[in-house]
Amino acid sequence: MIIKSFPLLTIIFLFITSFTMPLFKKDVISKRLSFITLSISSVISLISVIYIKFNGEIYYRVGHWDAPWGIELHVGIIEGIIGLVFTSVATLAIWYSMFSLERSMKERIGFYYLLINILIGSLLGIVYTNDLFNAFVFIEVSTIAACGIVVIKNKKENIKAALKYLILSILGSGLVLMGIAFIYSITGNLNMTFIHNELIKIHGQYQSTVLITLVLFTIGLGVKSAMFPLHTWLPDAHSNSPASASAILSGLVLKAYVFLLIKILFRVFGLEIISQYPLLDLILILGSAGMIMGSVLAILQRNIKRVIAYSSVAQMGYIFYGIGLGNELGLAMAIYHIIGHALTKSTLFLSVGSIIEQTGNHKLTDLRGVGKEMPVTLSIFTIGAFSMVGIPILPGFISKWYFALASIEAGKLLYLGVILASSLLNALYYFPIVINSFFGEENLKGRVYMSKNKPLKELVPVLVLTLLVFLIGIFNKGIIDAIRLDLF
Amino acid sequence: MNSKILFEVSRLVIPFIQVFGAYVILHGHLSPGGGFAGGTIIGASLILYRVIYGKTEAEERLTYSKLLSLMCISLIAYGILKGYSFITGGSHLEVFNIPIGTPGKLLSGGLILPLNICIGIVVSVVIYFLFKLFYEGEI
Repeated sequence: MIIKSFPLLTIIFLFITSFTMPLFKKDVISKRLSFITLSISSVISLISVIYIKFNGEIYYRVGHWDAPWGIELHVGIIEGIIGLVFTSVATLAIWYSMFSLERSMKERIGFYYLLINILIGSLLGIVYTNDLFNAFVFIEVSTIAACGIVVIKNKKENIKAALKYLILSILGSGLVLMGIAFIYSITGNLNMTFIHNELIKIHGQYQSTVLITLVLFTIGLGVKSAMFPLHTWLPDAHSNSPASASAILSGLVLKAYVFLLIKILFRVFGLEIISQYPLLDLILILGSAGMIMGSVLAILQRNIKRVIAYSSVAQMGYIFYGIGLGNELGLAMAIYHIIGHALTKSTLFLSVGSIIEQTGNHKLTDLRGVGKEMPVTLSIFTIGAFSMVGIPILPGFISKWYFALASIEAGKLLYLGVILASSLLNALYYFPIVINSFFGEENLKGRVYMSKNKPLKELVPVLVLTLLVFLIGIFNKGIIDAIRLDLF
Repeated sequence: MNSKILFEVSRLVIPFIQVFGAYVILHGHLSPGGGFAGGTIIGASLILYRVIYGKTEAEERLTYSKLLSLMCISLIAYGILKGYSFITGGSHLEVFNIPIGTPGKLLSGGLILPLNICIGIVVSVVIYFLFKLFYEGEI
C-alpha cells in the first residue's frame, strides 16, 4: 500500500523541496514554497493518522532491506498525532511569518525557509524512526538546522546564543552517540524492537552497562530538551530568534527530543528494566525542580520573550514529571502535554511576536496598557496564558488534572504540592502581564482603542492555533484514550 | 600572488588534479574513493585556483550563484534518486530500477555511480565555500 509510505514521503519531500529554494532569486517564492510544502505534508500526515486509526500501526522498511539490517520506521497512533501536530504548527507559524518576517530581519530570508523545511523534516524523522542510529543522524541534522535558525538574524546576541546552543547540543548528541555505542556493543542491534528483545534476555548480565547507557541517553537528550539544570541555553536561543522561529524552536524542537527519550526509555528498555534503577525518580525530581525553578526564573525576567522562554523550561518539567511517575497515566499525560504545549507555546510566541512587532517594545514595563491598543492579539495571549496557568477546558488544565491523578495513582502524594506550587507560580508571572495590559487607569491613559491592531488576515494563523488549543482541550478524552491504547 | 612560476605550474597541474578527482568519483563503486574523496580533490583544485589567480578572477569564473545552484541541483537529484529507491523498495513496488550492469565495468553498481557524482559535486563546492569563508570572511 502506498499510504504506508506516507510518513517517509513527508520527510523526503521536505528535504528535497528545501533545496529548491536557493534556486529562486526571489524571497517571495521560497516563502510560498515553504508554506505550500508544509501544508501538503500536514495533509499527508492527517491522511496517515486516519489510516493508522483504522488499520493499526505501520512498520515500514526504508529501502530494500528488512528490519534488523535496514532502517525501519514505526508509526503508531502516537507518532502519527505528534507528526500531525508538528507539521500543522509549523505550517501555521510559517503562514504567520509570511507577513512579518521582513520586519525583523532584512537578509537571508530564503535560507530561513530552507532551514525550516530541513528542521521539520528531521524532527519528523526523529519522531517516526525505529532505528537508534537513524535517530542520531536526524538529531544531528535538526541540531544544525536549529542553530542556523537561531543565528539567522546575524546580530551579536544571536551569535552568542547560537554558539551556546551549538556547544551544549553537540555535547548532548555526543552523549547520545556514546549511549548508542554501548547499547550496540551489548545487543548487536540498532533497531529498537530487536534491541528490546535482546535486552530482555541479557540485561541481568550487564547491569552497570545498562545503567550507564540509560544515564547517557537521559542526560544527552535532557540537554537538548532543556531538562532543568541543563536548560541554560534555552532562554537566549529562544528569545533572540524571530517570532515564528521561536514558536517552532520552543513548540516543536524540544518536544521531538523528549519524545525520543520516551521512546528509548519505554520501547527500547521497557518499564521492567528501568524500574530496577532509580532513574525514573531522578527524572521525577529534575522535572519537579524544573517546574518550580523555571517559573521562579521566569518571574525574575524583564523581557517578555524571555518570560515565555523560561516558561518553556517549566513546561518541559511537567513532561519529565509525567515520565518520572512511571505509570501508564503519567506517560500518556506526558505525551498529551507534548501536544498541548506545542500548540499553546506557539500561540504565545506568535502573539507576543506580533505585540513586539507592532509596538516595538519588549520590556514588560513598556507593555502596560497594550491590551487597549491590540485587544485581539492580547486576548489570544490571554488564552495561551490561561492554558499555561491551568484554567479549565484548556489543555494546560487537563494535563495538570491528570498529572495529579497519576501521582495519586503512583502513591507520590508529596508531588501534588509541586503541581500546585508550579500552577500558582505560573499565575504569578502570566496574570500581571494580562492584568496590566487590559486594566488600570494609569496604564490605559493616552492609549487609543485598536490603534496598533494587526490586520485580521495576518492574525488568521494565530486564531487557527487558538482554535486548535481549544479543540485539543475539549476533545481531551478521545486523544488521551487513543494515546493510552497505543502506549508501549 | 604574482609569481610567473606559480601561474605556469598551476595551469599545468590544476587540470590533472581535476581529472584525478573525476576519476576517483567515477570509480567510487569499483575501487577505494568515491564521492566524498573525489569531491575534496576537485575542491582542492578550486582552492588552488582561487589562491593563485586572486579574488576577482576566481569570482568571475566560479560565481557564488552558479556554484550554489549546482550544489542545490545535485542535492535535489540525490534526494529524488534515493527517495525513489527508498519508496519503491519499502512499498515492495515492482517498477523500473536502474539496471545493475556487469560487475567491474564503469557502468555498474546501480544507483551508486549517479549518487557518487551528486556527492562529488556537493562536496567540492562545500570545500571551496569553507575555504572562502575562512579566507575572506564571507562566501
